[in-house]
Amino acid sequence: MRTSAYLKPAAPPWLVGLAGVLMMISLYLIFIWVPMERTMGVVQRIFYFHVPSAFVAFIAFTIGGIASIQYLATRKNNYDDLSVAANEVGLLFAVVNLLTGMLWARPVWGVYWAWDARLTTMLLLALIYFAYLILRQSVVEPTQRAVVCAVTSIFGMVDIPIVYMANQWWRTQHPAPVLSGEGSIDPRMRFVLYFSTFALLSVFWILVRMRRRIEDLRREADGLRREVHAL
Amino acid sequence: MEENLKWIWAAFSLAWVLHLVYVYSLGSRQKALKRQVEDLRAQLEDQGRAQ
Repeated sequence: MRTSAYLKPAAPPWLVGLAGVLMMISLYLIFIWVPMERTMGVVQRIFYFHVPSAFVAFIAFTIGGIASIQYLATRKNNYDDLSVAANEVGLLFAVVNLLTGMLWARPVWGVYWAWDARLTTMLLLALIYFAYLILRQSVVEPTQRAVVCAVTSIFGMVDIPIVYMANQWWRTQHPAPVLSGEGSIDPRMRFVLYFSTFALLSVFWILVRMRRRIEDLRREADGLRREVHAL
Repeated sequence: MEENLKWIWAAFSLAWVLHLVYVYSLGSRQKALKRQVEDLRAQLEDQGRAQ
């Protein structure tokens, strides 16, 4: 008797509980514990959601890219499933990063958007993954779809270091990196930044597991459809 | 200070709304596929019985 994909839990309860607790602690740290930044004031607290969202998106696209390389090397479907799940959830975090950045830029810069290198390369990265999802829908043949998407995913992964280094390679309106260099950020702010990243990573992992479940179900449905047509 | 509160409120609300919308979309896609799997299994059973 075959076990259906939807009978298995997408995310174990302990992981959901852990993510919930981490998010609550993260909100406490962001809104109550961390000291107020002197120049920007309260609006600077967007930083603790904006930057971790970018970190999580980068990690997600890297996982997606590595899984794509493994798919091309082995042609095992589970790598393609992991790639699509990580890339789709990564895109969610990239969009959150872009939109929270715009809402931070408006009171600080006076505009929602500036076509500077960091913002533009991040937008391009998000657009590559939008294209990836469109390709996913438009190529019908499963193997061809997986190969084309794997190549796009690897192409997207190559853009990550360009986005990260953009504000060092070019003059940008976006702030310079605050994590590198001594004394660039208050240690408490650094702690909250890392903690928020960790909390968002737990949310990311739950979403990836939920998204992989959809691929499991899709494969199960495709297999059953083939059986129905064969009879 | 109060002027800036609206931006932080907007940013955090937007981030949460986007996550919730995504979770909802995952749930509805999963539900639709689950229904497809159940229908296909029922069809297979019917065809097996007919043969």
